[in-house]
Amino acid sequence: MSARTSAVGELRHTFRTPVNHIVGYTEMLLEDLPPDDDSHRAQLKEILNAAKVALEHISAALVPSETPATETVRRLYAELEEPQARVIRAVTTLIDAHDLGETAEDDLRRILHAAEQLRPAGAPGADAPTVPEMAPLDDRAPSVLIVDDIEDNRELLKRRLEKQGHVVATAENGKKALAMIEASPPDLVLLDIMMPEMDGFEVLDRLKGNAATRDIPVIVISALDDVASAVRCIEQGAEDFLSKPFDPVLLKARVGTSIAKKRARDRERAYIEAAGAVAAAAASVEAGTYRAGTLAEVARRNDAVGRLARVFDAMATSVRAREQQLHERVRALKVDVARARETAGGKPAAAMPQTGERVGGRYEILATLGRGGMGAVFRAKDTELGEEVALKTLRREGITDPAVIERFKSEIRLARKITHHNVVRTHDLGEFEGGYFLTMELVEGITIREMIDTRGKLSLESVLAIGTQLADALAAAHAGGVIHRDVKPHNLLVNAEGVLKVMDFGVARLSERSAGITEVGLVVGTPAYMPPEQLLGEDVDARADLYAAGVVLFEAATGKLPFEAATPMLLIAKLLQDEAPRARTVNPELPAELDELLAHLLAKRPDARVQSAEALKERLAAIA
Amino acid sequence: MSAAKRVLLVEDNEMNRDMLSRRLAKRGFEVGIAMDGRAGVDMALTGNFDVVLMDMNLPEIDGWEAARMIRAGEKGKRVAIIALTAHAMQGDREKALAAGCDEYDTKPVDFERLLAKIAAALGTKT
Repeated sequence: MSARTSAVGELRHTFRTPVNHIVGYTEMLLEDLPPDDDSHRAQLKEILNAAKVALEHISAALVPSETPATETVRRLYAELEEPQARVIRAVTTLIDAHDLGETAEDDLRRILHAAEQLRPAGAPGADAPTVPEMAPLDDRAPSVLIVDDIEDNRELLKRRLEKQGHVVATAENGKKALAMIEASPPDLVLLDIMMPEMDGFEVLDRLKGNAATRDIPVIVISALDDVASAVRCIEQGAEDFLSKPFDPVLLKARVGTSIAKKRARDRERAYIEAAGAVAAAAASVEAGTYRAGTLAEVARRNDAVGRLARVFDAMATSVRAREQQLHERVRALKVDVARARETAGGKPAAAMPQTGERVGGRYEILATLGRGGMGAVFRAKDTELGEEVALKTLRREGITDPAVIERFKSEIRLARKITHHNVVRTHDLGEFEGGYFLTMELVEGITIREMIDTRGKLSLESVLAIGTQLADALAAAHAGGVIHRDVKPHNLLVNAEGVLKVMDFGVARLSERSAGITEVGLVVGTPAYMPPEQLLGEDVDARADLYAAGVVLFEAATGKLPFEAATPMLLIAKLLQDEAPRARTVNPELPAELDELLAHLLAKRPDARVQSAEALKERLAAIA
Repeated sequence: MSAAKRVLLVEDNEMNRDMLSRRLAKRGFEVGIAMDGRAGVDMALTGNFDVVLMDMNLPEIDGWEAARMIRAGEKGKRVAIIALTAHAMQGDREKALAAGCDEYDTKPVDFERLLAKIAAALGTKT
């Protein structure tokens, strides 16, 4: 049993623990300080004072016996920013001084670590996480390389540009300039054309021919009368030209504009790269290879892409956590399946006369898998494809209404389009001997019916695994416009890997009549899983399947149906009138959230129920 | 007080353990360390400690449970148990005393106050 009995207690613990560490280690360092060491003492006291402020904020925000609003916690995180910064500043000063000895430095690092915990990056409300901001590109002084063979020219330009706040390097020939540019790309190159050995044209040609240097702007320096050369350079990719002697105002304007343009291009490129990184991360989530923190660098950006990366990382991480949770739950389900198989193993399958028979000219019956109210299921061989399939026969006795038959066929056509790993794939619909047959994906597994019959109530993990996968299957079907109408434990198969497969999408249409309650007794199977609106013959929508899912999960979680009665009519009366009992009255060990969810699924009125399979999935995922 | 007093610190948090054990050692205590409730109970019952500082928020066997187990298992000499909790929730003190603890303190630990409580617990022991 955990002692953390309340949400607010848990929160106080989470917030106070790092403060506790900060205070404890700081006090210890103070105790060890020589009495006359006032400078260190001042820094340590500053840490203690800041921790005290943090503690006051925590105590004020998290009042015992009051569950704090999300907004309160968000505000608390914001309030802790200032004391956290104070602690970090003082500790960093002490660590950087390197004069307290190694043991003390270890302890200081512990304080620093605790301070980081106080308000972790990515905490709610911590919009600017405590990671160092990237220095904005524009804060760096712009760097310029001057390439000219005449020293006086170089020096003159250098002085002028330095006065304007640029960092200036010089090269006296083309070869040296290229080497310098490669080693440390400047923001701008001022290039003289007339140089011995390698002239400006060639330098420009090489710069623009190299992907790494292509985007560095080049301003060509030409003689006043040499317009032709300037034009040639601009055609070759130079940004602009200046003619000697320089006009200082013009020089400043051209250099400034070129650099501003380059900076804008750099920002744009960094932005595109960052967006690309987020896109790549999205692809890796799809591939299941995403690692938390992949986007750390992008997340430090102070713009929309940075925020996108932070939100994305948080979402992807929570998706992974949920996948992990589902994985654990499925594993628990596998154990239950294996146990149920052991118990059910001894039952011999009843021999069927049709074995060896060929159905629909194509399917050879191999064995009987089971019999249901409407027909039987066989293992069959598709002789055309050489694959084994499940073949289900559906009796057509008494069904003469062509509208019913057409509706059934169109439903099956829709069901064939559902491709989902939790839905048994429907292949083929055919007619034979006065009935229909359906071929389906052959799933080796046992039904939830068998599991409950052999084991009684299932473990919580199994119930959640069944619920999550059932919700997934229903979400896919509902998105494709197919309502199951007959979700029940008999139709839910679990294979040896713990994967749930929902069978018989569309099949229920065949047993539908146009009438209401008086004929309900004729409905094949049990009404126990049907919502009131379906029992009354009203139009049903996706929420009917959610009600049925609620009954299935209730039964799996408690071993009992919510409603039981001696006769079908009595049962129907109860189903229509009585509120479902709370699952916890049957199985007190169930978590309150599941109890609540089941009651919500079993609401009589469709609009009082959980409204969608996605919502059901969310609710299940929230049950720890 | 001739021989050093023996303190058992039952704490799952590494930093708390490191900090408190070092501070107590500096004050002349012999410090034993248990990282969870089960080890805490075992050591309290066999280690001849004078006082147990018990964190209440331990995984599996929590501090309240551990205190009850110590009280149920000890023969003769009664060890003083001081409960430590970061919650500072109303009712925690009563709960700790009901579980058999002698004293109760909140985290962040006011070390001087804790020392006073340890001294008081040792003084009242016969």
